[in-house]
Amino acid sequence: MEPLISLGLREPRPVYFPGERLSFEYQIDAVGPGELLACEASVLWTTMGKGDEDLGVHYFERRTPADTEDGDLRPLRQVEVILPKSPLSYCGIIVKIQWCVRVRIFLRKGKESFFEQPFQLGAVPPPELQQVRVESSSTPDEETVEQ
Amino acid sequence: MSIAFGSSHAAVAAEYRNPFATRHIRPGAVEFVFPSEESADSLVRRLEAAAWRGAIVGPHGSGKSTLLETLLPRIERRGRCVVRRTLRAGQRSLGVPAAERRAWGAATLLVVDGYEQLSWRSRLGLLWSCRRTGCGLLATSHRPVGLTTIFRTTVTECLARRVVERIAPQDDVLRQVDLCDLLDRRGGDLREVLFDLYDVYESRRS
Repeated sequence: MEPLISLGLREPRPVYFPGERLSFEYQIDAVGPGELLACEASVLWTTMGKGDEDLGVHYFERRTPADTEDGDLRPLRQVEVILPKSPLSYCGIIVKIQWCVRVRIFLRKGKESFFEQPFQLGAVPPPELQQVRVESSSTPDEETVEQ
Repeated sequence: MSIAFGSSHAAVAAEYRNPFATRHIRPGAVEFVFPSEESADSLVRRLEAAAWRGAIVGPHGSGKSTLLETLLPRIERRGRCVVRRTLRAGQRSLGVPAAERRAWGAATLLVVDGYEQLSWRSRLGLLWSCRRTGCGLLATSHRPVGLTTIFRTTVTECLARRVVERIAPQDDVLRQVDLCDLLDRRGGDLREVLFDLYDVYESRRS
């Protein structure tokens, strides 16, 4: 049976802004307490698109059974993070930047599992495709450019 | 509060989703599509029969690295300890310290993705190390490299169609493009064709 990771944003909003507090909580189920070796929670951004992808971690915590009183990593845990100024979420054409909360768990026998919850940081409008006439000395042409 | 739950789930907001983005088409994210008479197991058997020394040969963007991702877990299940090196364009040497090479043994399989980048001197040194330690060697290359060719990757329109249908099964993107023409314009490079489909997908949003 696959472990179950429940992850939720507290007081979720369509858009979060830099400097605001992001509050989330998570809980692990469908796995025995002795099976969990470690649990990581992070707030990060990733790029998506046609080329190489990038990733930046804004907040990270790693907990092992030794970090808890009863050695059980499964109970509900709440985390609060102040969001940074950049990079803002962006849904471009060539590249997109998405923020998310990720919970990753490490189990015995090298097994891993994770779950992500995306959120929007900032309100950068998506690009508009505009028809721009590109002047050329030989043949006039029309090109579509991202602006 | 809204709670989502699941397991091994990378969430992408709907407006960000493009099935042809790098994360969805990189080697390992999509399974290699074999011709009907071949399978991953048949290739592993062929490599084993060649004393674990062989090459996957094919042009740019024909699926060599994707095939490697499909084969390596099966090779490891056969008890081979895989040591993998991916070479960048212009990388003329493998850059493995002598101490590490000495640790290779008969159960090791060195996998070199982009073998044709190596200089002839580096290749000779590598083959000598493999012979001395009994280590296996699986290379990917654009051209035959003096190892047994266990598979040649080629891209046909039929195969490209099957790959696209796997990546975007519920999408009608193929109705919007002439796949044969795209492949032709990209010189048979399926990776580039998939990036073209990324653009097609994006253009539908606007």
